Amino acid sequence: MDTLVNVAHGLGVALLPVNLLYCFIGVFIGTLVGVLPGIGPISAMSLLLPVTLSGTPESGIIMMAGIYYGSMYGGSTTSILVNIPGEAASVVTCIDGHQMAKQGRAGPALGISAFGSFIAGTFSLVALMLVAPSLASVAIAFGPAEYFSLMVLGLVVLTFLTQGSMAKALLMACIGVVLGLVGLDSITAQPRLTFGRIELIDGIGLVPVVMGLFGVAEVLLNTEQAIKRDIINAKITQLLPNKEDWKASAGPVARGTVLGFFLGILPGGGAVVASFASYALEKRLSKHPERFGHGAIEGVAGPESANNSAAGGAFIPLMTLGIPPNVVMALLLGAFVIHGLQPGPLMISQNPTLFWGIVASMYIGNLMLLVLNLPMIGMWVQLLRLPYNVLFPLIILFTIIGVYCSSNNVFDVHVMIAFGVIGYFMRKLGYEPAPLVLAFVLGPMLENNLRKSLILSQGDLMTFVERPISAICLAFALVLLVGPLLPSLRRKRELVALDEGA
Amino acid sequence: MNNDTNVKLRLNNSELWGGLIGLALGGFVIWSGLKLKLGTINDPGSGYVLFYTGILMCVFAISIMVAAVTEGGPSFASRWENARWGKPVLVIACLAAFAFALEPLGFLLSAIPLMLLLLRVIDPVRWSLAIPLSILAPLGMWWVLKHLLAIQLPSGLFEIG
Repeated sequence: MDTLVNVAHGLGVALLPVNLLYCFIGVFIGTLVGVLPGIGPISAMSLLLPVTLSGTPESGIIMMAGIYYGSMYGGSTTSILVNIPGEAASVVTCIDGHQMAKQGRAGPALGISAFGSFIAGTFSLVALMLVAPSLASVAIAFGPAEYFSLMVLGLVVLTFLTQGSMAKALLMACIGVVLGLVGLDSITAQPRLTFGRIELIDGIGLVPVVMGLFGVAEVLLNTEQAIKRDIINAKITQLLPNKEDWKASAGPVARGTVLGFFLGILPGGGAVVASFASYALEKRLSKHPERFGHGAIEGVAGPESANNSAAGGAFIPLMTLGIPPNVVMALLLGAFVIHGLQPGPLMISQNPTLFWGIVASMYIGNLMLLVLNLPMIGMWVQLLRLPYNVLFPLIILFTIIGVYCSSNNVFDVHVMIAFGVIGYFMRKLGYEPAPLVLAFVLGPMLENNLRKSLILSQGDLMTFVERPISAICLAFALVLLVGPLLPSLRRKRELVALDEGA
Repeated sequence: MNNDTNVKLRLNNSELWGGLIGLALGGFVIWSGLKLKLGTINDPGSGYVLFYTGILMCVFAISIMVAAVTEGGPSFASRWENARWGKPVLVIACLAAFAFALEPLGFLLSAIPLMLLLLRVIDPVRWSLAIPLSILAPLGMWWVLKHLLAIQLPSGLFEIG
């Protein structure tokens, strides 16, 4: 009953005209960046982070969240019609989605992708409503040791799931921690790694780092090769899947939704992991696995539902523990902090308007996305025809302006360009930026909680293993760290490892 | 002959150099941590986490280097094989020039040439599109920021914008 009252209260907030407008802008931009290859939700969210300052915290967060789940919808359009993933979570949709389009079934592929996304998005919101308040009440009992171990686990899971060598991913995470510690020490106020630059006293900004590593580096990588697009030219008709399509897709949508939600909650997990896991599951469960890769609708329905469900699930650790499980949520945490809010166990009870307003706006956003992605599909197809050589200078211009506006400081533009160049070389040499960014955000919290736990326990390291939650997290992290040394686990890791970029 | 080839391959191994850079960074972080004072385990100082993170960085960098030596790794040339490496170099050069010009020249005078260069040099867009786009996009953004969002972009020594 309480939940229903809270939802009604949340709807009251979400239905305010200004919040409806922000929600629409968010899902519209999300779909746009999802559709356009070369710019993903991470770049778009960091670009718009300063814009959130102009409104209330609810409006800003509603818009940022809209960009994230909106990009999950938009990404599938590009995957299906062009065979280029609009963003990383739609990589797997290319496999069967584009084959369906080539067979003249682009309409049902887009249709099932939008309906699957809507069903999964709605389910994950209901689950978020039910799980988050209970988890928040449990999380109040968390001490610094639990927080430290949870963050260690999150970083280890992300490095485990990152493409390529785990040692490289761990090295990136360590560099991220170090970069996060630049600036004044939060306990002693001593400047660290500032090299005498006044601009570094407050630390390196999240926006220039993210825009450099994901925005500029992505542009540099894309300019290296002539992007060839195989756009489906035929007119898209019959977007509604037929009876057989629904029959084949019902199971994958349901399984993808549940799987995606739980993978979204896991620290280090997220939409990308969920889409790959769902595809693998559907292929394994199918009576005709040979159809996968040749236009099986289950290969579109499952992953698309999973990535949307995961996008909803990922809000749980952020809202209840204050720990971002992936880079996108780290940016959302940045948006909360900009507004002087600290997500965590107390947020739901101290700031119910914000929490329930965001949840309710996500329902409304999902409805808006259904309209944006089905009747208006023609508009997005036209956008796909925008050539990359026209698009990338605009992306660079937007990133420069976005970074400058975040701090009104030319120094941050220099930092972004430097991180763009570093990010380009990192990607060329097989070092993924995602662990670095997550560690960059978690670094100061990680250090703070480690030092607090050591001070509270008077230097007794056993505090991390005597507390059950902390011990479980550390044990799981240890298994993942040692696992890749065993050949069978290493093979499994290579199967699920993925590129969290874009 | 064979040995020479192996030595050449090892020196050109991009994994090895990646590990070496990681090791150097790790060393620097350890040194910085020590300089900032470690404190004690009961009361960790400002350099405590930096110091141990630096040690971890060195461990991971050494394991990358060991893998590079024992398992080999791709050369730098192979990393850029079939890639138009000159294009990102040009974009980087344009961005570096822009970064230096932004403060003295201001946003408009530095962004318009940047846009024109990016539109014409990388994968040339026809002049009739490149010129209006390179002028209108920065001008439009500047107008929106200045008049609608009240954000002042750098106007430079000439105070344009």
